[in-house]
Amino acid sequence: MSSVPERPVAQQRRGLIRGPQSLVGGLALIAVARLALYLSSDLSQGTLRAIGPGMLPRWLAMAVGFCGVVLVALAFIKDGDRIEPSTWRGPVFVALGIMAFALTIRPVAIDLAFGPLHIGPFTTPGLGMIIAGPLGMIIGGYATPEARLRDLVILGFGLTAFCMVLFGDLLNLPIPIFPQSLAQLFPADWSQKAILRATAALMALAAALVFFATHRDRTAPVDMPDHSGRI
Amino acid sequence: MGDLFSNLHHGFTIALSLQNLGLAFLGCLVGTLIGVLPGVGPIATIAMLLPITFGLDPVGALIMLAGIYYGAQYGGSTTAILVNIPGEATSVVTTLDGHQMARQGRAGVALGIAAIGSFFAGTVATIVIAALGAPLTRLALVFGPAEYFSLMVLGLVFAVVLARGSILKAIAMILLGILLSTVGTDLETGEERMTFGLTILSDGIDFAVLAMGVFGIAEILRNLDHTESRDVVRQAIGRLLPSKEDFKQSIAPVLRGTAIGAALGILPGNGAVLGPFASYTVEKKIAKDPRRFGRGAIEGVAGPESANNAGAQTSFIPLLTLGIPPNAVMALMVGAMTIHGIIPGPQVMTKNPDLFWGMIASMWIGNLMLLIINLPLVGLWVRLLKVPYRLLFPAILMFCCIGIYSINSLPTDVMFIAFFGLVGYVIIKLGFEPAPMLLGFVLGKLMEENLRRALIISRGDMMTFLDRPVSGGLLALALILLVIALLPSIRKGRDEVFVE
Repeated sequence: MSSVPERPVAQQRRGLIRGPQSLVGGLALIAVARLALYLSSDLSQGTLRAIGPGMLPRWLAMAVGFCGVVLVALAFIKDGDRIEPSTWRGPVFVALGIMAFALTIRPVAIDLAFGPLHIGPFTTPGLGMIIAGPLGMIIGGYATPEARLRDLVILGFGLTAFCMVLFGDLLNLPIPIFPQSLAQLFPADWSQKAILRATAALMALAAALVFFATHRDRTAPVDMPDHSGRI
Repeated sequence: MGDLFSNLHHGFTIALSLQNLGLAFLGCLVGTLIGVLPGVGPIATIAMLLPITFGLDPVGALIMLAGIYYGAQYGGSTTAILVNIPGEATSVVTTLDGHQMARQGRAGVALGIAAIGSFFAGTVATIVIAALGAPLTRLALVFGPAEYFSLMVLGLVFAVVLARGSILKAIAMILLGILLSTVGTDLETGEERMTFGLTILSDGIDFAVLAMGVFGIAEILRNLDHTESRDVVRQAIGRLLPSKEDFKQSIAPVLRGTAIGAALGILPGNGAVLGPFASYTVEKKIAKDPRRFGRGAIEGVAGPESANNAGAQTSFIPLLTLGIPPNAVMALMVGAMTIHGIIPGPQVMTKNPDLFWGMIASMWIGNLMLLIINLPLVGLWVRLLKVPYRLLFPAILMFCCIGIYSINSLPTDVMFIAFFGLVGYVIIKLGFEPAPMLLGFVLGKLMEENLRRALIISRGDMMTFLDRPVSGGLLALALILLVIALLPSIRKGRDEVFVE
């Protein structure tokens, strides 16, 4: 999906490895192939007449591995692209933001074992959209060095309120809205929808409050294009 | 012929009901709204908005989805013209001349001709689908497992030939995609394959999750790597309706673009993606003054945009008639249909005529809607595009999370989009293209099923794929294509097309 057409590197590069991108790409393919071969090793191969569950994964893994080997070989023969540098900040914060959303939206039972390291078993508190939304957005928002907490808080509250109304109220999708423990705070005769709307209104209000409380005179002029949009 | 019109009439009576009309409108609107966000293409848009159609009846849901699809397509073109960021591969070409037009203060005309060209292309494509639907469906009924398998091989070879960059890398990605599709419970023996013992993987990898990760999240990560250099057009949008002169210049490119796009879109293996490139190349070749291209030539917008839309629509044909999704968008459509209990394939037309013809009619209505709602709303899209990316991407992130969560109500799905997002990011960094991988994944399960079935029927004889004339012919065609693509002279030409 890259919008920039790949350009072959014009200058001859010295050294043994002439296509670093192919080398790493090829090694990655070989690694994936090895993993798939290991994972499918306990599956029966079957015969052509009655193909077993393991036959196709094994063939495919070998083909992927073969592509990897060729790519590695090409890395030493042909000049190729180098790997573009990337920052760790983006992937780390985006992944953390998504994880924060996933772990707080509803109770998740966690029971993981990595060799000697054992996490859990415990269950994360299901905090619903009201927490998961802003939390995910604020953490994820720090993926760029230009992040500003104030803007992210306003955006987080405002957009969460919008999504609550859109997905929960208008579309009736079963998304947990707020922590179950808070359900008693509302009058007993309120319907689920009324609670949802009240919560959304509160969120929107919070967003507006933060906006005005920290509002400073804007120095940058807002440039508005002429978009009368008339045909 | 009379059959065709009575069928279309039947379709229109369904699509024109107040509810379905409203759904088409809503679909187009939200599709454009999300699709216009920079870096969000149709695949991510549909994956995000899939859940909002769950509560509807099947016909309404598919009509709305089709609306979302066209909206997302058009939203992508808007972003391409106004900000020079293509939402997906097919609008890359539009950035070339569209954005230059915008810089010359002719953004309105560029958007206008894109919409009008798309509408015309959509109208023609609707008729093509309606006309080809019935005969192709009859053809599909004589297809056995061997033929299906060979057809999908042909589709994948097409995808390899059409992918940008190295052919070897494209093949690797397709194989990887098929490999990913084998994860999960084996359909025949019930054995779990490559699941790491995780119960969430026993149903296999969810396509929407994979698509959202690779096309939604990875795209955010890729955009974050580049420092913000969005040049939203500062000039006035200008008049929207092209002048008489503009129309004169555009008519022929629109006609040619429509023909090219519609023909390529029918091909299995995402032929639609080639449409805009082919159209642009043709226009540039036959232009009196090719130097104008890249500097705001209206033909460079009219042709590719028409080709884009025609292809986007005719790519429904393999899905509706053969049940084979030719690209990732159509694979999402399969997911949506399955949720509503419809198995795409030749039997849809006979068993669900309301759905089949209603959807075809709503395609035309969707195109009309786009023309009506988008042009007046251009101002709104411009304003949306002025929001800095540091605020846009958390919002996109949020929509991705909520969208994917509400499909299955599984927090693990949300975690997996983070995982596949990182995978997709690495894939892009290493110079691979994720699109062929998705196609391999889409066709993988179907291919394995048909391969095994065909071999059971032939008692393990591989020659069945060559002995059966249709199957053998398709495989021969695939081989010829692959050889042609590997010929040095053609390779050079192919690279040139994609470097344009």
